[in-house]
Amino acid sequence: MIITKDHIGGLVFLCLSAAYGYYTGDISMLPGDEYQPFNAQTLPNILAYLGGILSIALILTASRDPGDRLSLKGYDFPIVVKLLVLVILFSVALEWVGFLLSTILFLIGGYWLLGERRVKILLIASIPFAVFIWFALSQLLDIYLAPGRLFTTMFGG
Amino acid sequence: MLEGIFTGLGTAIMPFNIMMVVVGCFAGTFIGMLPGLGPISAVALMIPITYGLDPASGIILMAGVYYGAVFGGSTSSILINAPGCASTVVTSFDGYPLAQKGQAGKALALAAYCSFTGGTIGAIILLFAAPALAKVSLSFQSGDYFALMVMGLTAVAAFSGKGQVIKAMIMVVFGLMISTVGIDTMTGAPRFTFGTIDLLDGVSFLLLAMATFALTEVIMSIMKRQHLEEEPEIDMAALGSMKLSKEEVKEVAPTVARSSVFGFIIGVLPGAGATIASFLAYGMERNFASAKEKLKFGKGALRGLAAPETANNAASTGSFVPLLTLGIPGSGTTAIMLGALIAAGVQPGPRLFVDNPDVFWSVIISMYFGNLVLLILNLPLIPYISRLLAIPRQILIPLILFFSVTGVYLVSFNTFDIQMMVFITVIALFLKLLEFPMAPMLLGYILGGIMEQNLSRSLVMSDGSLDFIWERPLTLTIIVIAFILLIMPLISKLFESRAKRGMEEAVNKGEGG
Repeated sequence: MIITKDHIGGLVFLCLSAAYGYYTGDISMLPGDEYQPFNAQTLPNILAYLGGILSIALILTASRDPGDRLSLKGYDFPIVVKLLVLVILFSVALEWVGFLLSTILFLIGGYWLLGERRVKILLIASIPFAVFIWFALSQLLDIYLAPGRLFTTMFGG
Repeated sequence: MLEGIFTGLGTAIMPFNIMMVVVGCFAGTFIGMLPGLGPISAVALMIPITYGLDPASGIILMAGVYYGAVFGGSTSSILINAPGCASTVVTSFDGYPLAQKGQAGKALALAAYCSFTGGTIGAIILLFAAPALAKVSLSFQSGDYFALMVMGLTAVAAFSGKGQVIKAMIMVVFGLMISTVGIDTMTGAPRFTFGTIDLLDGVSFLLLAMATFALTEVIMSIMKRQHLEEEPEIDMAALGSMKLSKEEVKEVAPTVARSSVFGFIIGVLPGAGATIASFLAYGMERNFASAKEKLKFGKGALRGLAAPETANNAASTGSFVPLLTLGIPGSGTTAIMLGALIAAGVQPGPRLFVDNPDVFWSVIISMYFGNLVLLILNLPLIPYISRLLAIPRQILIPLILFFSVTGVYLVSFNTFDIQMMVFITVIALFLKLLEFPMAPMLLGYILGGIMEQNLSRSLVMSDGSLDFIWERPLTLTIIVIAFILLIMPLISKLFESRAKRGMEEAVNKGEGG
């Protein structure tokens, strides 16, 4: 049997709808709410059933063409993982070293991952840009950007 | 109406708002030119900026970006045969051959004039159609609203293209599911928060839009190794003259007139946006052409360029009709605008016309300004704007990533949002690999809350019975249309697959025997 993108998609959403329907039962209601024509569980219940029916419909009508199989060839997954990890590191750095430093590090990291190796370009394309954005936000637009926990711990906030 | 037009004019010609149109058009043109990034991504990138503006200026900026992005897409279609978005794919059919013949300047000018005319005729029809529809829809009750939302969502799925209908419907349901996360506004009960405080407010619209349209699109282009492709070299000297002769104008004038009205009507239909309009207008124009002219299509026919360019801009304008009058977006891009308006405290729909006439009219007026800006400022500056394309991708992509991420962070100042964004991006990438369309999900998410409120109100008022659906002829009519929209593609797909299977069996039997 050929498993195509439609089959995978249908199965994933069938599981999602089942899980969604299961957790719908966990939604707490006020006493007597279950007798109301509409409560916090009404729409989620409808959606869980609808999602289930549509997923089954997708599986039943799925294309069986071998050309519709999920092909992961030609995609550069390692770079995607690296960039997404960089974004997560950026979010952590924002809390610890503040906006300016984390922006500079994020940009240098991004340029580097995408193949830029010239140190001069790495610095020129990141530091002035980050300083400009930081200046525009904190000085011109008066937005408070926390200095980062590391600095407040070291030098006091 | 005249009073309204003056109100709108007063708001639209405020120096700040004019600046917004100009900036929006430029930014949109630039983003639209980048292959892979279309109007939706361009508008999504603007959301954080609009949070700091008043609603009228915010939507004026977005409308400018929208137009600019469509125009930018046309520019890259013509110059480098790399459409920035789906609605300008058809532009490249005849635009790129023209550029190859050394008439890139003429093709760009024609695209700009046609976009201008299409947008202007669209704006004029909008001027009359929107208030009329808004007045009618003032009599709508919650049952009608619920029916309307159902129709809007089914229409989006129905128009989503062959083989995509069920997937689009699933995505609508998925969007509705996401909209139920967080505290229920009616009962105060937390839903699907799994004890996390960060989820009590639900998934923010900004986060979802930026993650699915800005971040995912950029990451997708990296995943496809588009950043490794060579930077397009555009020879500015080879642009050629930007002038059109009298005969050429005469040749395309009827095409432009036809495609404007046609594009506008297609744009008004929820779900069918600029892309469908441009494809249909091109097909229509080919049918209108004589056998001799038909041969020219695809080889640099002026009419073949004029039709889609006019239609996609007229459709962009048309898609504002359901947004402004009914609160139902006609396309993914207007869905984002709807979300931004709701976030700014403005509820689009019939009441917008009464409660915020400045927003309603200034959007219509500034659309015209947007077209004017594109024609007067953007066209002569195209050679300079396209030079921005020469910025190496390895520099440009991290910058766009930075803007997408900080755009979300600078609104909430919560780093959890960035992590959530990455999580949503991973899901969106997976869904894109499985060829699920993203716009219906966002639409379902945006309309989810309002739909639930209206359904709850209708059910409570009719004491729990579903009588409200058939009590009023209007509600019933809308529901019937929604049902037809829903059932038609499903039935045709079932028939198709059965016929296919029947044929396969017949072939197998034939082989066996």
